[in-house]
Amino acid sequence: MESFGALMDGFATALTPINLMWSLVGVTLGTLIGILPGIGPALTIALLLPVTRTLDPTGAFIMFAGLYYGAMYGSSTTSILLNTPGESGSIITALEGNQMARRGRGAAALATAAIGSFVAGTVGTLLLSFLAPVFVKLAIMFGPAEYFALMVMAFATVSTLLGASMVRGITSLMIGLAFGLAGTDILTGQPRLVFGIPSMLRGIDTVVVAVGLFAVGEALYMASRRDLREAVVLPIRGSLFMTREEWSRSWKPWLRGTLLGFPFGTLPAGGTEIPTFLSYYVEKKLARNPREFGQGAIEGVAGPEAANNAAVAGVLVPLLALGLPTSATAAILLAAFEQYNLQPGPQLFTASGSLVWGLIASLYIGNVMLLILNLPLAGLWVRLLAIPQPLLYGGILVFSTLGVYSLSNSVFDLVLLFLVGVVGFLMRRYDFPVAPAIIGLILGPMAEAQFRRALTISQGDPSVFVTHPLSLALLVVAALVVVVPSAVAWIRARAEADPV
Amino acid sequence: MSGSRGRSLAGLLIGLGLIAVAAVIASDAMHMRVPPVHAKVGPRVFPYLVSCGLAVSGAAIAWQAWSRSFLVEAQDTDWGAVAIIAAGLVLQINLLKPLGFVPAAIILFMTVAFAFGSRRLLRDGAVALILAVVTYLAFTRLLGLQLPAGILKGVM
Repeated sequence: MESFGALMDGFATALTPINLMWSLVGVTLGTLIGILPGIGPALTIALLLPVTRTLDPTGAFIMFAGLYYGAMYGSSTTSILLNTPGESGSIITALEGNQMARRGRGAAALATAAIGSFVAGTVGTLLLSFLAPVFVKLAIMFGPAEYFALMVMAFATVSTLLGASMVRGITSLMIGLAFGLAGTDILTGQPRLVFGIPSMLRGIDTVVVAVGLFAVGEALYMASRRDLREAVVLPIRGSLFMTREEWSRSWKPWLRGTLLGFPFGTLPAGGTEIPTFLSYYVEKKLARNPREFGQGAIEGVAGPEAANNAAVAGVLVPLLALGLPTSATAAILLAAFEQYNLQPGPQLFTASGSLVWGLIASLYIGNVMLLILNLPLAGLWVRLLAIPQPLLYGGILVFSTLGVYSLSNSVFDLVLLFLVGVVGFLMRRYDFPVAPAIIGLILGPMAEAQFRRALTISQGDPSVFVTHPLSLALLVVAALVVVVPSAVAWIRARAEADPV
Repeated sequence: MSGSRGRSLAGLLIGLGLIAVAAVIASDAMHMRVPPVHAKVGPRVFPYLVSCGLAVSGAAIAWQAWSRSFLVEAQDTDWGAVAIIAAGLVLQINLLKPLGFVPAAIILFMTVAFAFGSRRLLRDGAVALILAVVTYLAFTRLLGLQLPAGILKGVM
């Protein structure tokens, strides 16, 4: 029960007034950006990085993690009342949630989403508290070859499981890896893809790419879609106190959603989206009256909303214990650790134990704050949805350019931002998922470092990757993830062409 | 996804563009002067891998576009709005230093609002002015960051 003692120390850290304030700032900001379509947690944390550089890392991470949790709470409100997801983790919530709002049960939908998020967030944080140390024990066995293989597996899963097709996912990953190559090579000092421009020697900052893809690309895309401009915000109707029937129909989906969401968060599959789709599917299968789905079934809100919050807790397990980001937001958080010269993994738990456990403890507190912020105060937040789109995106772009400029007071970074933004727009327009690019950008240089370290240790013998059993196993999983879906698709196509 | 089942010109261009980028990365790696110590696991290996990956994906997309299997959701694209925002960003890049943060931010904000269909210039301008001034003061006075003062030097 050593982690119990550590967690208690964590509460001592998290309950100091200054850290409570950071937690409150994080969850409030998270709810805000969760509700606003067009701004997500990855973008917000990226924009906050230059500003938080001088902050105490514990406070900064408490704020970031609270923000990530808060975004999942807030986004359900937008899905339910606007029929547009605030974040990708709430896409599926819009299906039943908006129908409930149309039928005058919007308040009940908001309530089951908020309470479900609370249940899942708390259970998820509990699992995180006790699983993270287990993962750390696993991480101690990892050498450079294993780390490289783990990253290859993450590349494979992220690029095959997200997006419309595998080719698009892999292309997105490659674009991210290419961005990551630019700059001075760490080991030899060799300039790469610098094209004689001195500012390029620093490489392309993570913030520039994240903001370019998420903010500039998204703004260009939304402007290009005239049909997405005007959306109707439904008023909250009904009582925020759920009826006995609504409670009894909600609690099982909450728990099932949690059990689906958490493990999916820990896997490198892009975070919160996939478990919400699975949860919806499961609830529909198990429902006593499946025909109600599509017309406002409360289970279809309760399950996915629990799943996305549990997934966020799950995402933090490999991030803290292995330094492996499994979602775009986690990738940005990893960049934040780099900014403070902190290396997630076993050392983080021993050298910065108070940061890790303070962060985890703050999530329990943040969840309580979020329940209060999102349930009784839901009516206040809804007013944010009245911000006209032109002003919203005008503001997003002003803050984006401001954040990128203040990275190093360089206009050249704004030029890069513009170019990355155009790439982001094309990716959005032609349906390439963005998350693999962000993960490739951040993990690419790390994978390269581990790859070269492993080969240096083995004196250039590439067989290290297949003779270490753990490394081999991870590489086999990576290969299967790429091969199996194509094989299944091929067999299915043949079966369709030639029905037995 | 409702896709048009035609040859996709966009897909073809994207595929060829990716192959071109792959060629640039490969040629950059080829022109590196690498000390012989690092010849085996030096700074070239990863660029070559990424270049191959990009070339293969580019070829796959070009092939899909040609063989009518690159599905693109049929949608109206308002290229004018995209061009206006792009112009706003280019203006911002060129005006930030000479005019300063506040005017450059106001121009960017109003351009974006215009591209999103707003024609209420007075309202947009007022919001832009307040937003730009408040952020300028917050960043320079509270957070101690440097932003170009430009024409407002000495005034604020």
